[in-house]
Amino acid sequence: MTGRARARGRPPRQAPALPAVGDASPQQLQHPPHPPHPQQPQQLHAPPAQAEEPGAHGRLRGHEGILQERRPEGLQVSSGLQDMSLRDRGGRRRDFHDLGVNTRQAMVHVQESKTGFSGKVIKLSTNHFRLTSRPQWALYQYHVAYSPDMEARRLRSALLFQHEETIGKTHAFDGTVLFLPRKLDTKVTELFSRTRNGEDVKITVTLTNELPPTSPTCLQFYNIIFRRLLKMLNLQQIGRNYYNPSDPVSIPNHRLMVWLGFTTSILQYEENIMLCADVSHKVLRGETVLDTMHSLHSQVGEERFRDTCAKELIGLIVLTKYNNRTYRIDDIDWDNNPKGTFRKSDGSEMSFVEYYKKQYNIEISDWMQPVLISQMKRKRGNIQGSVALIPELCSLTGLTDKMRSDFNMMKDLAIHTRLPPEQRQRELGRLLNYIQKDDNVQKELRNWGLSFDYKSVSFTGRVVQGEKILQSGSMFDYNPQFADWTKETRGVPLIRAVPMDSWLLIYTRRNHDVANTLLQSLFKVTPSMGIHMNKPNMIEVDDRTEAYLRVLQQRITPDTNIVFCILSSSRKDKYDAIKKYLCTDCPVPSQCVLARTLSKPQTIMTVATKIALQMNCKMGGELWSVEIPLKQVMIVGIDCYHDTVAGKQSIAGFVASLNQGMTRWFSRCVVQSRGQELVDGIKVCLQTALRNWSKWNRCLPSRIFVYRDGVGDGQLNTLVNYEVPQFLDCLKSIGTDYSPKLTVIVVKKRVGARFFAEIGGGLRNPPPGTVVDTVVTRPEWYDFFVVSQTVKNGCVAPTHYNVVYDTSLLKPDHVQRLTYKLCHMYYNWSGIIRVPAPCQYAHKLAFLVGQSIHREPNLMLSERLYYL
Amino acid sequence: MDKNFQEEFTQIIKFQPPLYKQRYQFVKDLVEKYKPKKVADLGCADCSLLWMLKFCSCIEVLAGLDICANVMKEKMHTLSPLPVDYLQPSERSLTVTLHHGSVAHKDPCMLGFDLVTCIELIEHLEESELKKFPEVVFGFMAPSIVVISTPNSEFNPLLPRVMLYRHPDHKFEWSQAQFQSWALETARCYNYSVEFTGVGHPPTGMEKVGFCTQIGVFVRKYPQTGESVQSEKPTEAVYKTVFKAVYPSLKDEKYLQNAVISEAVFTAQIIKHRLMSKRKEYGDDPERKSKFQPSMDCFPDHLGKLLVEKNMEPFVSGNEVYIPLTAIFSFPKVNRLCGTFEKLCKLIAGKVALSSDGSAMMLNIEHENEEN
Repeated sequence: MTGRARARGRPPRQAPALPAVGDASPQQLQHPPHPPHPQQPQQLHAPPAQAEEPGAHGRLRGHEGILQERRPEGLQVSSGLQDMSLRDRGGRRRDFHDLGVNTRQAMVHVQESKTGFSGKVIKLSTNHFRLTSRPQWALYQYHVAYSPDMEARRLRSALLFQHEETIGKTHAFDGTVLFLPRKLDTKVTELFSRTRNGEDVKITVTLTNELPPTSPTCLQFYNIIFRRLLKMLNLQQIGRNYYNPSDPVSIPNHRLMVWLGFTTSILQYEENIMLCADVSHKVLRGETVLDTMHSLHSQVGEERFRDTCAKELIGLIVLTKYNNRTYRIDDIDWDNNPKGTFRKSDGSEMSFVEYYKKQYNIEISDWMQPVLISQMKRKRGNIQGSVALIPELCSLTGLTDKMRSDFNMMKDLAIHTRLPPEQRQRELGRLLNYIQKDDNVQKELRNWGLSFDYKSVSFTGRVVQGEKILQSGSMFDYNPQFADWTKETRGVPLIRAVPMDSWLLIYTRRNHDVANTLLQSLFKVTPSMGIHMNKPNMIEVDDRTEAYLRVLQQRITPDTNIVFCILSSSRKDKYDAIKKYLCTDCPVPSQCVLARTLSKPQTIMTVATKIALQMNCKMGGELWSVEIPLKQVMIVGIDCYHDTVAGKQSIAGFVASLNQGMTRWFSRCVVQSRGQELVDGIKVCLQTALRNWSKWNRCLPSRIFVYRDGVGDGQLNTLVNYEVPQFLDCLKSIGTDYSPKLTVIVVKKRVGARFFAEIGGGLRNPPPGTVVDTVVTRPEWYDFFVVSQTVKNGCVAPTHYNVVYDTSLLKPDHVQRLTYKLCHMYYNWSGIIRVPAPCQYAHKLAFLVGQSIHREPNLMLSERLYYL
Repeated sequence: MDKNFQEEFTQIIKFQPPLYKQRYQFVKDLVEKYKPKKVADLGCADCSLLWMLKFCSCIEVLAGLDICANVMKEKMHTLSPLPVDYLQPSERSLTVTLHHGSVAHKDPCMLGFDLVTCIELIEHLEESELKKFPEVVFGFMAPSIVVISTPNSEFNPLLPRVMLYRHPDHKFEWSQAQFQSWALETARCYNYSVEFTGVGHPPTGMEKVGFCTQIGVFVRKYPQTGESVQSEKPTEAVYKTVFKAVYPSLKDEKYLQNAVISEAVFTAQIIKHRLMSKRKEYGDDPERKSKFQPSMDCFPDHLGKLLVEKNMEPFVSGNEVYIPLTAIFSFPKVNRLCGTFEKLCKLIAGKVALSSDGSAMMLNIEHENEEN
């Protein structure tokens, strides 16, 4: 519901819904009521026994994006990395940290320095810890060959490790590549082993590489070593992170359990290799999927049961009772049950009941329960395709959308998960303390010749000067601590107020009073804003989707400015139907508000004010502005929405500024099914955006800034090598004499870095406007962090900006300032937000289309913020 | 035996399921039959038998011993508790320990076991070790049951590619007669009875060869002697513990308390939710409020009668809903967890908001009104 009744809302992305909590999918899409069932249970696999695949572990979705799947061949992150494939648990080989994408070297103007200068200096500490190794430290990479050739990895390891006196006790080996902390006496070492069958095998160990500590392979290697350490500390791996199971926080009101854990990564930063560690929380549920199904059944009854199960459960991540894996529920097979059979790898058929009894001694008590289906994206061992899971044996993790929208639950959770700066650092300190105190861990570190600085890194950042808010000829200051100017601009005329001469107010009989109260309040608040409002066409409807749609079809005229619907429940289908009709078939801005939001007399004026502002924006109004010194500039924002549940579609929202004040925005979106290239669509968007810009400004922009959000971990390479050239192509196609300056900035909200201001001997959140462009940035990038928003509780998350392409030749300081200015321009929140406004607009657009509309909205709306 | 005939056979013999699985299944069946609480696997190697046994619900103590620490370490993490074990702690307690050491040495950590398994172990022992082995296992550990399996050398001609022994590390492989005489002698000496069986049936017509793997099941003839006898035994620890995992269990007060609180509060929420939705149906008419009675269908059927009793009715006072602990206790899940009502009271005391006399759980009404 966050997207809808905004009036009640918290700032978008301002107070992020519990950072690092859970892994429930963000989608809440409908699923066909009766999923086409796979009816070939033979093709399903029961999860393989752990013994068959030691230590393998499911990966959690969430970071996966569309780009990832089609990383073109030949695009190697870095040589050495690809063939290294050191097996961490789960055998993942992805480069989550975008190592080896060196974009700075192509930008001459930031070769020397990429730091800004404006603002006041602030003392900061962070959650980074220096990794130290002895001088001349190197990692030695060997290639290991067997003659005769041995297939099995385990056998290869066993044979090699018969020679521990030669290779040493400290090693990492994946079957082919061997890493050692020390150099063997000779470049080529020949060893002789004998197999169980008495076969003699010659093993040739050849030195292939001496890796300096900063090489990408070495960095990846550090990460693997560090994860080993966490395992040694008895932390449990769930997904990518490690959690401490022995001290859970339980929240019995909601049947939740929260495990405290850590996310860690070791990377080469500006001057040092550092460990970035952050506290992470895992929300787990003390009930099985079957329990959940039972309680859903008692809540909704037989008729809506399957439908509700699909909605609630599909997309969730489950843990199983018998192995240490996570699976995503992709479907529910209602026609199958534990008595159903599947084909084992040896070809024999077996029922689930039998299998679990035999393999794990688990008795399945409910033989009537359906079977969950999990699709496997990658080949896992020798199993491919889908896996069948028994609800009774699966435990839920993470939060559902329904839970996320449960204000009380989130409040209860926040107490445990939103740690204020000092507490957060204290928890981290505990982890480091464990590491320091544990003998085995210290021994492992010593063997590899590594150690850590146990005190976090301190440095200075800058707090740039606050922006003044311009509205109708007046200039407003606001308290920078709150980063909000709701009070200051109350009762001030808007830059451009669109009259509401003809509009519809639609409500159900039950909400008749609510509608009237709202109307009265709107009449009170709009005059001071300069909005002229006529009495609306008030229409009472039955509380059915068809009734709403019929009214829309009959009563909307070409003069209708906006349609206001008061909805009595948060049923998504009604909202979707209304939005779909009004965004595609009949392009009219619309405002949907839940009756509940309007029902509290004490807040109705505030709510009415916000709704009035929001409607004005949707109709093409302008609220406020900040000073933008650059002229002839077009700002573009792009964000993606991945609908992985229903349609397997991805939607890219594209937003581009139309005027100097950045108060009007053009928008389009690309709806693409799986397998299509995203960038082709974006090219078209950019072309139309330029056309519209020139229509408004009678020339083409001389500078273009693209703020690109929605780039997943490990996708940077694709972006740099495919998307950026497409932008350039597109600009070239406009005309031979047209060569604007282009700047492409990748915006990342999910970063592990946290900054703490050292104020008065304590740690506080850094104030809005804090810019960090040293120490914790990456040497191969032109990147910086900005803390633009404030949070009421917990730690503020900085946003990472990576300038991957820049021909503007602007000073870094100017790019940073421009970025910060744009964070002031999101009209649905009279305050500073976490990302530049165009990114947030693009996000809202993509979200609306992905959740409700599922196709490109009518272009008649494209110059209005109808998607707010 | 005719050589050609033999060679024909060597092509065919393949066990289904594989022999090692049949051996493990044999042990599992034995565990099912005798329900031992403490099981030790000597020569546990990569822990795969232990991993299978950890799912057997009768076992509370599992121990592994091997002479090679590396092979144990390779997969020992499979013996660790899973996240779900923490989420839904089981009734039984389970401790899994791995020791590094030799079966030729006595260590007190191996005392008091019900079942000791030595699967394909003895043939790896040097002569000197084999000599000490009976005294360590049968004399010192003295469990109620010992299972020993070893290759049957008479079967070897039927196996492809077997030259001398089935594995280069084998120090010997015995015929049926050799194994049986060693076993009978050992059993006699330490007062055990022994029965012979095996896995891996010989092909039809060649039954004389015997099982591919021969197994002796030894059962102690004298009853468990008290601690007194054990204390006489040398108690110096010589094994090195390489792994220890204590599974979360409801026998542990900490986990029990968590589980009880969680279940009790959840149950109270259900009762509250039903109460509130009933109230909504009746409307908020104060006249009717006082007459409100919880309807039977609020609760599991079998509890209907109980709830009529005055002290089980949830009621509303001011901003709070009071859910009597007796009502919560009547839910089967809570009931099963706590056992007694007193236990429930004791475990939740101080952890949840209770009425002044401690007889009811207090929940705030507010929450409910926020929704819809």
